[in-house]
Amino acid sequence: MASLLEVPLLEVRAITKEYRGAAAVQDISMSLQTGEVHALLGENGAGKSTLTKMIAGVVAPTRGEILLDGKPVSFASPAEALRHGIAMVFQETSLVPSLTVAQNLFLGDEKAFNRLRPLTIAAQQFLQSLNFPVDPTLNVSSLGAAQRQMVEIARAVRKNARIIIFDEPTATLTPEEKQHFFELIGRLKARGCSIIFISHALEEALQISDRITVLRDGKLVVTDATAAFDRDKVIRAMVGRSLTDELYGAHGGSRKTRGYGKRVLSVQNISMGRMVRNSSFAVYAGQITGIFGLIGSGRTESAKIVAGVVKRNFFHGGVTRLADRIVRYRVPAPAVKQGIVYVTEDRKSEGIFETMSIAQSIYTGLLASAQHRATLVSKTEMRSVAEHWTKSLSIRAISSDAPVVELSGGNQQKVVIAKALVQQPKLVIFDEPTRGVDVGAIAEIHAIINRLADEGMAVVVISSYLPEILNLSDRILVSRKGRIVEEFAADEATEEKIMYAAVH
Amino acid sequence: MIAGLAQRLLGMRPAATVPSMDGALRPNRALDEAATLAECAAPDNLVWQDDHLLFTSGKRVLLLDSLHLEGEPEQILHFDGEITALAAAEDGSLAVGLGPSGIVMVGGAHDGRTITALGGRKLIAPTALGFSDPDTLFVCLGSDLHPAADWQRDLLERRATGSVWRVPLDGGAPACLAVQLAWPNGLLLHDGRIAVSEAWRHRLLDFPSRQRGAPRVLLDDLPGYPGRLSPAPDGGAWLSVFAPRTQLVEFVLREDRYRHWMMQTIEPAHWIAPSLRAGLSYKEPMQGGAVKTLGIFKPWAPSRSYGLAVRLDRDFIPTASLHSRADGRRHGVTSCLESKGELIVACKGDDVLVSAELAQEREI
Repeated sequence: MASLLEVPLLEVRAITKEYRGAAAVQDISMSLQTGEVHALLGENGAGKSTLTKMIAGVVAPTRGEILLDGKPVSFASPAEALRHGIAMVFQETSLVPSLTVAQNLFLGDEKAFNRLRPLTIAAQQFLQSLNFPVDPTLNVSSLGAAQRQMVEIARAVRKNARIIIFDEPTATLTPEEKQHFFELIGRLKARGCSIIFISHALEEALQISDRITVLRDGKLVVTDATAAFDRDKVIRAMVGRSLTDELYGAHGGSRKTRGYGKRVLSVQNISMGRMVRNSSFAVYAGQITGIFGLIGSGRTESAKIVAGVVKRNFFHGGVTRLADRIVRYRVPAPAVKQGIVYVTEDRKSEGIFETMSIAQSIYTGLLASAQHRATLVSKTEMRSVAEHWTKSLSIRAISSDAPVVELSGGNQQKVVIAKALVQQPKLVIFDEPTRGVDVGAIAEIHAIINRLADEGMAVVVISSYLPEILNLSDRILVSRKGRIVEEFAADEATEEKIMYAAVH
Repeated sequence: MIAGLAQRLLGMRPAATVPSMDGALRPNRALDEAATLAECAAPDNLVWQDDHLLFTSGKRVLLLDSLHLEGEPEQILHFDGEITALAAAEDGSLAVGLGPSGIVMVGGAHDGRTITALGGRKLIAPTALGFSDPDTLFVCLGSDLHPAADWQRDLLERRATGSVWRVPLDGGAPACLAVQLAWPNGLLLHDGRIAVSEAWRHRLLDFPSRQRGAPRVLLDDLPGYPGRLSPAPDGGAWLSVFAPRTQLVEFVLREDRYRHWMMQTIEPAHWIAPSLRAGLSYKEPMQGGAVKTLGIFKPWAPSRSYGLAVRLDRDFIPTASLHSRADGRRHGVTSCLESKGELIVACKGDDVLVSAELAQEREI
């Protein structure tokens, strides 16, 4: 880490951003040294993204100033910030889906005449240098979330930015990919590149950063060297109280696992292309079945087949039994009507309608279910349903008429969950239920999931975060190469055993 | 035939699949690790009588010292035919199923009585017996066509000619409680109802025990063929699963022409069918990589035989299980009985009677 006495590479002084008079970021000052990895932590809505967007020229500050190499600067656009060496890798990728990976990497640097082959070769070499296993000839639309993230990171690195801002870069990466990413951070740091790193995974921040800044409600709470922090101290600074026990403290033998209820779902030898191969498992009422697997292991796809989001193979596609009858869904609607709901891992594109209010979003769930039989839409019913669920799941919003898109990640996730639960399902599948959600909301979502299982519902939780799987699940299934390969009881499972089964 | 062809061409025929053994049925080696109580030919039909453990072995009824459950079993009865079912009443009397010879009462008020037909049906295969009181016997008839020993043929012919009867021994007409069952071979009386295992449909049913009534499915789509039921001391039951289901057998069961050709041309021991013990002869089907590597059974192989005893709670939901996997030596579990924290298991396929300690931690 560079000496703190040097002139900071980047400094923000008393910076404020207001939207319609309400301050999203208020009077924040921080600095970034050359070659420093600076973690920016805080709950959803703490102002992290707004602060970094001001640095990257995406939004203009209302007050305060930004100094680069000790000189005041202001950026009218991200392109201008990039010209000054500041790049931002967004949480929602900004790639062009219809172009190939190589074309996306070189987007904006095209010559008058371009040949694909040299472009692809250059992209291939560059991706290999970063240890990213992405085929440069593939269209971005065909990539999974993790691979898109890799392309996004590669693009920022390729721009030779002096300051790279990563907003939740590891949320979609597997543990192995994360390790590659951390190595990449080390290489960038060695090159003199400075990094601002936003993450909800506190262990990562503690592992790779030199300094940590914690924001809460748009204000700076603390900035200090990483060595001065531990997990509990970070959480206390973020939320004002310790949540460690609430989140992952129960694992270790004290938690009583739930027994087996009736078999609700039996998946027998289902197959779908190369992603799901002859996979079999069962799900029981009144308990949480955790499914762990690396990205590409087929866990999400298996869940989507069950919920009718994707179709199994037409021939030799296997059998899915719901309770005592064989079901086969080509679209989600009949699955919803028969009591299966899937809470997506990608809430932005699959979980919410950005143009709708909270009440409308939740009500759409009811309209799709077998519970709703009326032909006409009732606004009174919509409001009462929304009120019930916002109260029940503690969704924090000014009113149920507020647009979902304005909510924090945790509250958006609760809206997605409410939209699912309003359908009174028998089986709920949560796919990465706490991805991109702050620690306070994680505890609340975990409590909701536990409550559902306690009430006798069959619950499936798919997660790539092992402490979450270990803490929530009554039994743990491990997916690898498109099939369930191992099952652990909660009391015998360890991170090592699960990871071994997932990899070998 | 046209519908079948259309289903095949359009991919609408459900795949020949088998449910996974997971959850409470997650494989373990509990039966292989269990202590041996006795080694004798084809042990079966475990019952308690006056604090003694009785079981059958071929044509004999044997007794084992209840205090130690060890030593050589003592023969107490011998019959001319193979014993297919056994039940003990509270007054010490026994009902013994002898296949086509019928059911013989031994001891008690009905000593010597023989039942050879029920409701005009000749007894071919009495597969399970049970008393509600010394004067009322319940009988499972596995089939009207095949004797109990010929159960594989009954399965491969896809028969459903089994029935369950309530027989008043002190006079009165026997009452038929259920018909057209696919090899019922286990029964348990509970709460005024009778639970019956229907092997070829892989399920447990129950219906009223006094008169004919609508059956209720208690447990469906089991990964094996359910056999005898025995009560568990603190409620619920133990279920013996005498053979596993495999995708190959499920497939063969759908291929009528092939199946009939196989039954006509190949000796029964080598049919592609479930078995109480398989894998010991090189002539058997599935000797390739699917079940063996370098001549050694894979524990997870889809073998034709298996050892499985399942603990069911009061609602007949599986809560725990004891296994002898494909490479194990305790296959063909036809009967099990819980006593004083131990489960006594008759492994008919491997000719051994074992006792497994039921530790709390076994409750998976």
